[in-house]
Amino acid sequence: MKVSIEWLQEFVDFKLSPQELSHLLTMAGLEVEASETVDGDTILDVSITPNRADCLSVLGIAREISANLGVPIRQPLISVKEDETTSPDIEIIDTEICHRYASRIIYGVRVGQSPEWLVRRLEAHGMRAVNNVVDVTNYVMLEMGHPLHAFDLNRLEGRRIVVKRAGDVGRFKTLDGEERRLNRDMLMIWDAVRPVAIAGVMGGLDSEVTPSTTDVLLESAYFDPVSVRRTSKALGLTTEASYRFERGTDIEMIVRALDRATALIKELAGGRVTALTDNYPIPYTPPEVSVSLQRIRGLLGIEIDESSIVEILKRLNLQYKKEGEGFVITPPSFRRDIQQDVDVIEEVARLYGYEKIPSTMPAIRLKRIEGNDNFRTIRLIKDAMVKAGFSEVINTSFLNPSALDELNIPDNDRRRRLVHIKNPLRREESCLRTTLVPSLLNNAVLNQNRGERAFSLFELSRVFFDRAEALPDEVMQMAAIHCRPLRPSIWEKAHNGFYDIKGAIEGLFDFLKIKGYSFQRSDKPPQPYLNPVRSCAIVINGEVVGSVGELHPSVVSLYELRGDISIFEINDLEALIRAIPSRITYRQLPRFPYVERDISILVNKDVPVAEIEGVISSLNSEIIESVRLFDIYTGKQIPPEKKSIAFTIRYRSSDRTLTDDEVDELHSKIIDTLRHTINAELRG
Amino acid sequence: MIEELRSIASLAEEEIQSTETLNALTSVKAKYLGKKGLITERIRSLRSLPPEKRPEYGRLLNQIKNRIEELLKEREGYLKEADLDRRLKAESFDVTLPGFCIPFGHLHPATRMLNEIIDIFVSLGFSVMEGPEVELDYYNFEALNIPKDHPARDMQDTFYISDDVVLRTHTSPVQVRVMEKHTPPLSVVAPGKVYRCDADISHIPMFHQIEGFMVDEHITMGDLRGVLEVFAHEVFGPQTAIRFRPSYFPFTEPSAEVDISCVLCNGSGCRVCKNSGWVEVLGAGMINPRVFEMAGYEPGRYTGFAFGMGVERITMLKYGISDIRLFLENDKRFLEQF
Repeated sequence: MKVSIEWLQEFVDFKLSPQELSHLLTMAGLEVEASETVDGDTILDVSITPNRADCLSVLGIAREISANLGVPIRQPLISVKEDETTSPDIEIIDTEICHRYASRIIYGVRVGQSPEWLVRRLEAHGMRAVNNVVDVTNYVMLEMGHPLHAFDLNRLEGRRIVVKRAGDVGRFKTLDGEERRLNRDMLMIWDAVRPVAIAGVMGGLDSEVTPSTTDVLLESAYFDPVSVRRTSKALGLTTEASYRFERGTDIEMIVRALDRATALIKELAGGRVTALTDNYPIPYTPPEVSVSLQRIRGLLGIEIDESSIVEILKRLNLQYKKEGEGFVITPPSFRRDIQQDVDVIEEVARLYGYEKIPSTMPAIRLKRIEGNDNFRTIRLIKDAMVKAGFSEVINTSFLNPSALDELNIPDNDRRRRLVHIKNPLRREESCLRTTLVPSLLNNAVLNQNRGERAFSLFELSRVFFDRAEALPDEVMQMAAIHCRPLRPSIWEKAHNGFYDIKGAIEGLFDFLKIKGYSFQRSDKPPQPYLNPVRSCAIVINGEVVGSVGELHPSVVSLYELRGDISIFEINDLEALIRAIPSRITYRQLPRFPYVERDISILVNKDVPVAEIEGVISSLNSEIIESVRLFDIYTGKQIPPEKKSIAFTIRYRSSDRTLTDDEVDELHSKIIDTLRHTINAELRG
Repeated sequence: MIEELRSIASLAEEEIQSTETLNALTSVKAKYLGKKGLITERIRSLRSLPPEKRPEYGRLLNQIKNRIEELLKEREGYLKEADLDRRLKAESFDVTLPGFCIPFGHLHPATRMLNEIIDIFVSLGFSVMEGPEVELDYYNFEALNIPKDHPARDMQDTFYISDDVVLRTHTSPVQVRVMEKHTPPLSVVAPGKVYRCDADISHIPMFHQIEGFMVDEHITMGDLRGVLEVFAHEVFGPQTAIRFRPSYFPFTEPSAEVDISCVLCNGSGCRVCKNSGWVEVLGAGMINPRVFEMAGYEPGRYTGFAFGMGVERITMLKYGISDIRLFLENDKRFLEQF
C-alpha cells in the first residue's frame, strides 16, 4: 500500500523524517519496503499483513502513527447538505453476505476532469484518474479504506438497487470490457431487472459513470469477506475494492465514507444531494475479549504494570472494563482481527515494544520423542558418499513425464504411478518424481555442457508414488552418477567407471556394517536404462534394493552425453537402513598365525569371479579366513576362450596353529572342487 | 723414534680425512690398527724398548691410537651419512604429481547449513521430526488457523495436487502432526523441503525450511528471543544482534519477523541490507491457542513458541551467495566450494 507523508500529515501531527517514520512503522509491524520522493512529498510503500485491513488507508496508517506516538488523530471533516428529501430505493435480499448498504443520489452533476491535486494524489498512490466522480470514490477509498461505487442512475432500470446472488445470469460484462462467467453464488448488485455490478469486485460496463452522466447513485456497502474472496478468486479478478473487502472493511464507517464522497462530488461536480438510504439488516456486534494481567505478563515474559497496559489500550482505541485481575476489551469495528486474548496481548507487545522484551532461556522439562533417528543415519550415509568422492546435488521434486519414456520405463512399472500437479509452473514440471535418475542425467548434461569431464554426483531425496489414498507414498531414495572421460590421464589406471561406483557402494555398505549383500546378474537387465551386459542388481539378504551399471548407450546418445557413465540407485533407503545391524559385536582377535596359499587357474571367460568365490565358500571350511583376488589375465599364452585368475587364500584356525599337512589337504580339495564344478585348470 | 711416531700420526690423520668411501676407510683402519698395522706393530714391540723409555713412549703411542680410532669413527659417521644422502637423491620422485586417493566429494551447501542448524538445536535439547512433503490442506493450512477463503492463503503461492492435497508450503504442518501425537513438554525441530508456486530471479519453487517449536506450561516470548539469540550467535558469530518486529502469521500470536544485524556490513548499511543495517532471517511467534485447540490440547494450559526459517536464505547470508537459483543448478564448481 502506497501512502503519501503529506496526506498523512492532514490527520496526524509528527515531526519525523521519512527515514524515522519508516522505522517507526516498520517496528510497529507495518513494514516500509520502499520510498520515493514525488514533487517534494515522500511516498512510502508499506507492506500490510492480511490481518491489518484497517491499515489499507491513509487514515488507518495515520491512526497507527497516532497510537505509536501518543498524539491525537484528526478525522476528516464531513458535512453533507441534503438538497432533496427523496432517498435511493435499495433492497438487500441476500442479507447474510451483504450486512449493510448505504446510498445517496446526486442529481445534475457535471462529469469532467478532476482538479490537478486530486489527479496527482491518485497517481502517486498508483491509481489512474478517470473522471471527477469516479476519482472521488477512489480518493475516499484511499483515504478512509472503504471502497465505494458510483452508478449512472439513468442507466439503472427502475432506478433502484437490489442486492442478491447471480443465480442463472451466466455472463456479465465488467467495466474493463471483459465478459465474465458468473457462478450462481456470486453476489451481484442488480437494478430492477439485470445485474449492474459484481458486488465488491467491479462494476458493470453498462452502468458506469461516463462524461454524459448527469445523475449518480453512490454505493457504500459491507460485503462478506469470504463471499468477495471466492468471487474474486473464481473470476481471477483482484481489484483495489475486492482486496479490501476480502480482508474486512469497517462496517461502522460506511455512512461517513459515503458522506465524505458525496460532499467531495458536490464540491467538484456540483449537483443536488438526496437524503440517505441506510439498509443495515445485520448490525455489527463487537466481541468481548477477556485478558488477564498474569496472562499478558506470562506470555510475553515482561513485568509490565497495569497503568502502562491501560495507556496502550487507550492509544489503540480498545475500550476496556476492569474485571478481576484483568480486562474485558471491546475492540473498535475497524479492528476485526482482535478476537482472542492473544490478539490483545500482541497489541500490548507492539506498543510496549517487541525490542524491550528481554531474552531469557526457557526452563523446560526434557523429553525424548521416539522414532526420529533416520535423519542421523541419513547424515552418515551422505558423509560416506562424500568420502567416496561423490558430491551431493539437490534437484526439485518435479518430473517431466516424458522422461520415463526416454528411460524406456515400461507401462506397468511402479514409476508410472505419477502424482500430478494441478497448477505446475511448466508442463516439464507437472509431475512429482518417481525416480531420481532423470534429474541426475540432467545434472550430468549441465556439467558436461559447462566443460566438466569428470564428476561424481549423488542425490538423496524422496520420490512420490500415487496410491489409493489421499497422500502418495513418499519413499526415500538415493542415486548416484559417475562420469569419467573415456581416456583418463596417463598415470590413472585404465578401468571401467562401473568399478568406481560399485566400489562406492561396497565402501558404503562396509561403513554401515551391512552384511549379506551381493551384486547379482540375471537374464533380465536390472533397469531398462542400463547397459544390459554391464549392469546388475544390488541384493541384500535376498532382497533387491537397487541397481548399478553403465548407462545404456541409447540413453547416453539421447541425452547427448559423453564419456564413461555409470549410475546406481537405491530404491528404498529406509529398507537399507533397516538392514544395518542394530549393534556391533566384538570378535576376539586371532591368536594363531595364518597360512597363505596362492591358486592360479584357467576358466572359461564367462565364469564370473563371484561364482568361483561361491564354490570355495560352499566348502564351508572354518579355516578358510579369506579369499582375495589378485590377478585376472587374458591374452598371450592363454587360450582365447579362457581367462587366468589368481587368488590368495588365507587359512587360519581360531584354536590352534595349522600344520602344513592340513592346509595342503584343504587346498587340494579346493582345487579339485573348482576342477569339477567349473572346469578350472590349474596353471603352472 | 718419537718423531717417527708423530709423523705416523699426522699421516694417519691426513689419510683418514681424505678417504671418500667406507671401503677405503676399512683399508686405512687396517693399515694402522689392523693385526699388522703400523700402530699395532709398535705396541707389540714396546716390550723391546729399554724400561726407562717405555712409559713416555707407551703413553704417546696410546694417545695416538685413541686419536686414530676417534678420527676413524668420526669419518665413518660422516661417510655413512653422505652415502645415505646420495642414495636418497637418486630415489627422488615428483611430489607435485596428483595423488591417487579419490578426492572427497562435497555436501550440498543447503545440507551443510541444515546440519549445522540441526546440531545447534539438538544441543539445546530439541528432537528432530519430519513430515510428508505432499500434505493435506488440513495440516498445511486449516489446522494452522488458515481456513479456506482466508486472505492469509495469498501469503504463500501453493501447488495443488487436488482440492484437499497440496505440496506443503512450509514445515509448520509438522507442528500439528507432532502435537496430535505427543503431549508437552515438546521441543522439536522439523527440517525439510517446501514448495512455492513461484520462480523468478529471487525465488525457486522448492527450497528447505526448518521449523522449531517448544511447548510447555510457562514458555514466554522472552524464551523465544533467548533461543533465537543462541541460534544467531552460533551461526553468524557472537557479535550478531537480533531484532524482533511485529508481523502476522495465522498460527502464531503475537507474531514477529526476526532480523539479524547485517552480516556483511555489521549494521552500518550496505547493498545486502538495503542500507537498513538489518536483514530478515526468519518468522516466529507464540503458538496461537487455536492451533493448540486443533491439536486437542487442554485450553489455556500450555504456551509455546514456534519459528520457521528458509535454509537457503541463511546459507546465502552465511556464505555470501547472491543468486538463489544456484542451489538447484548443481554445477560441480558451485558444489565444490562447500
